[in-house]
Amino acid sequence: MATGAAVQAEAITGRLRFLAILQLGWRNLRRNRRRTWITATTVALAVLLVQVAVSLLLGIEQQSFDNLINYQTAHAKIYADGYFARREELPLDYTLTDLDELQDIVQSVRGVAATTPRLSFSAQISNGVDLYGCVGVGIQVAASDQDVFRIPQAVVDGEYLTLDEEGILMGTGLAELFGVATGDWLTVLTRTKAGAYEALDLPIVGLIGTGNPLIDRNTFLIPLKIAQYMLGLDGAATEVAIRFTANAHDAQTIADIGRAVDGTEQVEVKGWREMEQDFMALVRLKRTGQGVFLVIFIVLAVVGITNTILMASFERTREIGMMMAMGLRGAGIRWLFLTEGALTGFVGGALGSFIALAITAYFATQGINLTAMYGDLDIGYPVKDTIYPAMNGTVIMASWLLTGVLAALASLYPAARASRQVPVEALRHV
Amino acid sequence: MTIVARLIDVHKTYRIGHVRVPAVRGVTLDIEQGAFMSIAGPSGSGKTTILNLLGALDTPTSGTVQIGEGTTEGLSLNTLADFRNTHLGFVFQTFNLIPVLSVCENVEFPLQLQGIRDKGERNERVRKILLEVGLGELADRRPAELSGGQQQRVAVARALVKKPTLVLADEPTANLDSETAAEIMQLMQMMNEKHGTTFVFSTHDPLVMERASRLVRLHDGRIASDESGNGGRRAS
Repeated sequence: MATGAAVQAEAITGRLRFLAILQLGWRNLRRNRRRTWITATTVALAVLLVQVAVSLLLGIEQQSFDNLINYQTAHAKIYADGYFARREELPLDYTLTDLDELQDIVQSVRGVAATTPRLSFSAQISNGVDLYGCVGVGIQVAASDQDVFRIPQAVVDGEYLTLDEEGILMGTGLAELFGVATGDWLTVLTRTKAGAYEALDLPIVGLIGTGNPLIDRNTFLIPLKIAQYMLGLDGAATEVAIRFTANAHDAQTIADIGRAVDGTEQVEVKGWREMEQDFMALVRLKRTGQGVFLVIFIVLAVVGITNTILMASFERTREIGMMMAMGLRGAGIRWLFLTEGALTGFVGGALGSFIALAITAYFATQGINLTAMYGDLDIGYPVKDTIYPAMNGTVIMASWLLTGVLAALASLYPAARASRQVPVEALRHV
Repeated sequence: MTIVARLIDVHKTYRIGHVRVPAVRGVTLDIEQGAFMSIAGPSGSGKTTILNLLGALDTPTSGTVQIGEGTTEGLSLNTLADFRNTHLGFVFQTFNLIPVLSVCENVEFPLQLQGIRDKGERNERVRKILLEVGLGELADRRPAELSGGQQQRVAVARALVKKPTLVLADEPTANLDSETAAEIMQLMQMMNEKHGTTFVFSTHDPLVMERASRLVRLHDGRIASDESGNGGRRAS
């Protein structure tokens, strides 16, 4: 049989270029605008809720970390060797003595902004009727403790301690528990390092509300010199707390401090994350749980896309048949519907992200007053009553991309179904 | 005489539930290059099935379909798609344009499928063919903005733009009024005469049959008659 030249030519693979698929997919989304918008809005709502929730959680986390650093751990602390392992017992057997020399050495390290000694001890306080065990902390009042910690900003009643003047600053929760207020007198009862009992009557000069239950409900602060006097530890401290500069790299600075103090006293340097490793583990656990929950939330939202793409593929059966008749392979059909699903996800994701950004930006400056909404609520984080959501570009971008990818995955089944059409049957479809 | 397609003792039986319905029964047919051939017959006579077999859209139950040197037997769906992409053009009764693409984009679509990356070349070919089918002014319109006749002209342009070996048209005038139908037939005839493109179309419209250079009549899946007509280009 004689044959035409063109018939003998090599077959050309029927594939559309990515941009052509993108263009066609985008236009197909506009065919049934109402349906596309309904689907995209569902996705947008899910993304909006997820991003606002994540911003809130990130804000709470960041405020928790700031709270710990500002009121409890500082960025790092130096302890006498052996203290850290037994720190919960508040032992007085492991103290730092050459405080000035130690502080001078540490302050010479790059990234260190300020240092201050503290003396933590176990004590009981009494109002003459009740006796309550709590933690006492001796702080260096003048131009030292407030350079590292932010206690003065947490004073909610009365005033901050004055230099070496006898007085007690206590947490609001503890004061409430005891039924005392600023101006009242309390008896502080403790034991010296040698084991002798020591008692001292002190006036309450102020109350502090840090949002950190450990401090507000369980801690009182007194001037360092008084604490040293009561404990028989003149010139000593259980720790030297360190604040870093704003641009310091935590791990690097801690390592540098460790090298700097090596060879002076037998000391150990601990960063705030290591001090709060239980809390950090809890944060990681919460992050994982919340992450799983939020991904499930997005997955449920993008399942709607499966239905939308399935309906579109049913409606366009003849068109699919026509494109296949012209030589478009099944893979091309599959990519087209996957693209439409992904685009729906990206559009919904972008819409949700935009609204979430606006909401987050507003509350990041105005804050959300939890106490006003829910009363005195313990949310399991050391934060004050007003929380500020944190905007995080990586989270926004990641959740947007994740939405697009999940939307594409949600379109897999309808896309695969469309690509398996037999052209001759698809063309007969009414 | 150059044969571009051949059916050899082709049978096609559809199974509907437990019932076997024979659509084509032992058809043998040669199609010469440049033919303007009409396959006619009443509904259910097998016209569309034969077009589907020639268009590599369907495979025979038995017998051989040869297009050029190859047969469609045992080819994968992808290979058949590539084959259609390379060699065949289709014109459908219901036009089947892509509604979200403009006239020129619809016509450009097969060229994109053929992997012609040069946008300038694609545009030039689209412009030329649209001028030939008389739609140069309507290139930017969407199908919904065109009349039925104009849409079918776009479909013809889309089928011809890739310079196929064979154009298959399944009742191309069935959805058109008689005047428009005559215009479409005239257009296809003109393209056949000008470019030598082989056309095979199914119809049961006597006015359309008149224009064919060869008229094959089917009855109950068999060829009832095969005669020369007056229209179209003489097959080579």
